Amino acid sequence: MIEAAIQLTDVRKSFGRTEIIRGVNLTIPKGQRHAIIGPNGAGKTTLFNLISGRFPVSSGSITLNGQNTAGLAPQQINHLGLSRSFQITSIFPRMTVFENIRCGLLWSRGHKYSFWSLLGMQRSLNEEAEQLLERLNLHNRRHVYAGLLSYAEQRALEIGITIAGGADVILLDEPTAGMSHSETDYAQQMIRTVSEGKTLIMVEHDMSVVFSLADVITVLVYGEVIASDAPANIRSNRAVQQAYLGEEAA
Amino acid sequence: MSTHVNAPTPTPAPAPVAAPAMPASTFLRRHWAWLAMLVLMLVLPWLFYDHARGRHSGFAITLMSEMALMAVFALSYNMLMGQAGLLSFGHAILFGIGAYSVAHTLNWIKASGVPIPVELMPLVGGIGGLVCGILAGYVATKQRATAFAMITMGIGELLTAAALMFMTFFGGEGGITTDRVTDTSIFGIPYTRPIQVYYLLVAWAIIAAVLMYLQTQTPLGRMANATRDNYERTQFVGYDPRVIRYWQFILAGFFAGIAGGMYCLVYEIVTFDTLAAVKSANALLATYIGGAVGFFGPVMGAVVVVGMQSGVSLHTSAWLLYLGVIFIAMVMFAPGGLLGLVANHIPIARMGRLGELAVPYARISLPTALASAGFILFVELVTHQTIGASQGKKFALLGQPIDPGSTIVWVASLVAMLVGTLWLRREGSFFMARWNALIEDAKARGIMS
Repeated sequence: MIEAAIQLTDVRKSFGRTEIIRGVNLTIPKGQRHAIIGPNGAGKTTLFNLISGRFPVSSGSITLNGQNTAGLAPQQINHLGLSRSFQITSIFPRMTVFENIRCGLLWSRGHKYSFWSLLGMQRSLNEEAEQLLERLNLHNRRHVYAGLLSYAEQRALEIGITIAGGADVILLDEPTAGMSHSETDYAQQMIRTVSEGKTLIMVEHDMSVVFSLADVITVLVYGEVIASDAPANIRSNRAVQQAYLGEEAA
Repeated sequence: MSTHVNAPTPTPAPAPVAAPAMPASTFLRRHWAWLAMLVLMLVLPWLFYDHARGRHSGFAITLMSEMALMAVFALSYNMLMGQAGLLSFGHAILFGIGAYSVAHTLNWIKASGVPIPVELMPLVGGIGGLVCGILAGYVATKQRATAFAMITMGIGELLTAAALMFMTFFGGEGGITTDRVTDTSIFGIPYTRPIQVYYLLVAWAIIAAVLMYLQTQTPLGRMANATRDNYERTQFVGYDPRVIRYWQFILAGFFAGIAGGMYCLVYEIVTFDTLAAVKSANALLATYIGGAVGFFGPVMGAVVVVGMQSGVSLHTSAWLLYLGVIFIAMVMFAPGGLLGLVANHIPIARMGRLGELAVPYARISLPTALASAGFILFVELVTHQTIGASQGKKFALLGQPIDPGSTIVWVASLVAMLVGTLWLRREGSFFMARWNALIEDAKARGIMS
């Protein structure tokens, strides 16, 4: 049996009296590209917030690489090898693009809270940041303050900060939202290469991206998983067609 | 002009990949501001040299010593404010504890005869500030933003109150007096004359400033920027924002303590004022007026604040009011501070069109001068009526005695203020139109970013 990267067991989350996640069971094996789809308000982003430790679960358990993440802070979950991006762009606006990427690299390269080593002297760290900028197509913008970038560039930077640390489980929350066709194609290509050999979980609304990237698709409706299967089977699943895909997939 | 400060002033950008050996000319070009400051600090005392009496002006030396130590204090404040986005209302406790540590150490050296050189006293202050930072920071950095500001204010008030209760350490109202002349010096300098202390302060100011600058280039320094920009995201790249705040607070405490140690060497007396809210406010004023966004901003601000405090206060008892007005004007119209104002001109200078601002500047300077003159005259008349007259002072303007009782002077001040302000509004919109046109041009040519 392939070891699970992420395992959710009867996960529930309520805000006040409203139960947003209503008993989700899900196993995502290592190395899988997994997409979570569902109508607006289905709880996709909430699920991400639970997995990444932004919110605690109300009940149930989540394991990451076999370890229970209950009670861990987001940074501790990050140290276990998980990294995430945000649906609403979350970057460091008053720092340069280069520094944004370097911030994403620092912890995993063992720099921690050091106040005695100069970043300018860290040759391999800086080279790594430069290389990543090239892959993100942001190389010629590296000295620009991140807050001044165009929307699509900020989305690319968002993905860059997420993957910089080299986490083996990557969560992308609507990575291509708001991008043009060509930008989406480019981002899709990039996501494919950076997730090579890693576990990728993404929430995405663009069905062409979902169906071409994902090995397995999970459909979430009103906080419950109604199907979790290979793309071809999801396409022909009646319940899914009714609940979500509608005309588009028929 | 505030609208153009949409990004922090570019501090000299570090080379992405370290150059192994830097030619002297590159070093000069990159660090000219540091060298200029050093030369200025070394040369300035000689401009106030009294050849007739064969010594330096005592007032000028004390003023410059105060500027040096306030610059270090303001820079340490900016490690929290500018770098980590933490607004502290109690930064003086770190300064004060540093100063008290040095006073007690000097007295202990005197009593015990242990030979610790005077040159190391600012370091002793730094250790005092560091310990204070470890204790106070543990509580304060549990929170950020408003809660952090409130906690620092509380700790500041608490310690000021404690200073008047615990006599042995703080010396109550009278404070702790000490004597810097201990006859132990690395360089064999007695430190009997203020100029000797001044040069020691210059050395420490440079050491502290260089270390604080280098700290901005370390992983902790950069991650402090990251928590300022977006504290939540720092968690998802593996950092605990609280730990970052705590370390940053402790280091700021170390440098504030160094400034406190410098203070003790200059004045040889430390009272509870060094811990109090007014001292904290001075650091905040200096940082805001100079500009929190660039490294050198607080240094410029410290020079202005100390200049007002020590220089302008000789001429008017309303100096604090003027400082307040400057502060409000800066916060409203130039949130980037003095350094931000200078930096705003860089894109225009790069286009080579700075000259086009000459006329607009000339046109706003006249109404500004008129309005300011009216305002100052009015304030001085009021303070003379309420304070000055009772002290038996004569009212004089530019050396010319004036009768403050005559209606015409009061009317003149009000008219100057009113006319100046209305005129400035007109010229101000002319200025802004020119300015915006130039900035738009710079943007179109891609010079802005």
